[in-house]
Amino acid sequence: MRNLFAMARRIISQIVRDKRTLALLIVAPLLILTLVWYIFGAKASEPNLAIIHYDSSDYMSAFAKNDYERMTPLQARQALADKKIDAYVDLKNPVKVHLEGSDPQRNGLAMSKIQKSMQKVQAITVSAMKDELTDVIKAQKKGMQAEQQTIAQMSKAMQIYAPGALAQITQNAPKVEEPDSPQKPEKVTLDVSYLHANDDLNTFDAFGPAMVGIFVFLFIFMIGGVSFLRERTTGTLDRLMASPMKNYQIIWGYMIGFGLFVIVQSFLLTCYIVYVLQIYNVGHLLDVLIIVFILSFSALSLSILLSTFASNELQMFQFIPLVIVPQIFLSGLFPIDTLPGWVQAIGNLMPIHYSTEALRNIMIRGSEFSDWWLDGFILILFSAVFITINILFIRRQRPLTS
Amino acid sequence: MSFPIKGEHLHKKYKNQIVLNDVSLTLQEGEIYGLIGPSGAGKTTLVRILLGLEKADSGKIELFEQRPTLNAFRSLGYMAQSDALYSELSAYQNLSFFASIQGLHGKAKKARILEVAKAVELDKDLKKSVAQFSGGMKRRLSLAAALIHQPRLYLLDEPTVGLDPLIRKKLWTLFHYLKEKGATIIVTTHVMDEVAQCSRVGLLSEGKIIAEGAPKALMQRYHVSSVEDIFIAMEKEGAKK
Repeated sequence: MRNLFAMARRIISQIVRDKRTLALLIVAPLLILTLVWYIFGAKASEPNLAIIHYDSSDYMSAFAKNDYERMTPLQARQALADKKIDAYVDLKNPVKVHLEGSDPQRNGLAMSKIQKSMQKVQAITVSAMKDELTDVIKAQKKGMQAEQQTIAQMSKAMQIYAPGALAQITQNAPKVEEPDSPQKPEKVTLDVSYLHANDDLNTFDAFGPAMVGIFVFLFIFMIGGVSFLRERTTGTLDRLMASPMKNYQIIWGYMIGFGLFVIVQSFLLTCYIVYVLQIYNVGHLLDVLIIVFILSFSALSLSILLSTFASNELQMFQFIPLVIVPQIFLSGLFPIDTLPGWVQAIGNLMPIHYSTEALRNIMIRGSEFSDWWLDGFILILFSAVFITINILFIRRQRPLTS
Repeated sequence: MSFPIKGEHLHKKYKNQIVLNDVSLTLQEGEIYGLIGPSGAGKTTLVRILLGLEKADSGKIELFEQRPTLNAFRSLGYMAQSDALYSELSAYQNLSFFASIQGLHGKAKKARILEVAKAVELDKDLKKSVAQFSGGMKRRLSLAAALIHQPRLYLLDEPTVGLDPLIRKKLWTLFHYLKEKGATIIVTTHVMDEVAQCSRVGLLSEGKIIAEGAPKALMQRYHVSSVEDIFIAMEKEGAKK
């Protein structure tokens, strides 16, 4: 036990004395998350739009002057080429939309706005048709009134000249029923409700849980891996191997020593995004902390494992594109349901995948322990497997005494 | 008489290169055994195999007359060719860590740290970070870390490399002092004037111990005036054959 704590204490003083590493572990994730917060949290600016051929159009009222600049076709084409506008609408029948097209996000924004205006256009068309119909009906009504007058005069004449015949006619005549006045159609509106969260949830809120996992994993992976690698390259591991220290004490010493910083780091990071950046969080802070904490253990144990296969720092960093980058893409940051099965299978082998799942459930859906324990358990399983392999590998370094 | 370390018929191959070819070595208690030979002769490999840090392809190792155990490491001080120190830590923190994992704690540890620091003349630099140390200072601190738990057996891989003659001399005085107190030391070296100070030397060449014995006896046997010349004499002999 004492050996274990001597080991942990040594790692702690090593990190504390190395200010740069300390800063990388604590400050860097905060800095990067802030940056990401600005990037993903920013509201997209309104699209710049224009209309042409509006003079002769009935639809002009649907395109408010504030939203659509009035331009001549030449001006519009030039503005589109200079990226001053994202799209322009040609109001000549049939209505045409010309998009700038180089940025899918801007295309989408422009299209959704134009579609909104087009709904107004449809309303205009419908009311115009209605007006036409009422005119027709009115004209018919006038004609009928005239006929009725003639009939009234004729029946007056018949009363005088042939009253018997008239009585027969009125008896046989079909009863005219007054048509009901048409009911006003109800206005159709969409009532949106959210099972989780609300319409304030922005991209950062959705990405945040994944981001926390990624940065914690990345920084622990780098620092833990390099620090164990150094133990190997400087020969201090040999010195430990030539001491009565047990294999598991070396690995667990690392776990405990780094564990302290992981606690501090995950606490600061979680508090920072929840209270300072105010990421959407309905779950318990403690649940979030636990997940971040066990994730970093899997990062640390994996980095120690991979450092076995590296002979210098450069080779250690070569694992980042191999181990970290795929995790970022398959972490759940982007939907993976439609990917081929083997890609999904790889995703299921990645620790960050489970942390993202758990953090999302906790922060956005407010899940309790009973909902996320499985993800947490899998993360612990990862660590357990990596730690066991590490201890076996270290045993190989001391072949005689094992 | 007991044998602190014993290796019998050790063979070691790296891929196609034979590093050790049937090496047998037995140390007697209380002697300084010098392992000498050109670079690449297999000195470091032999030391690492004796320690159990590497496995020999075949052969038998005994530490304190039994199969090596973790407990045997408690009586063993190892100094590698690399300094093997934590450069972020201060000299004191380094020694404190190595003392702790050898089971020293509290006041005894502190006293022992000061003692070994004095022995290698680093007592005034204990608070300094190792990163600020010169090469020679690191070498001495590395030696101090191997001495800290007062082992009975020392395996020192080139302990005096890169040190100035004055300090080298002082360290050899220290080795003799340790020997007087009953410790056994195996030391690898290039420096021939150190060879004369060993109780016995083994000449390692191309993975074989070609000669072994007290330096003076060896010189007489081969009719040469220095141990260095034995290699040359052996080479000539080999050429004659």
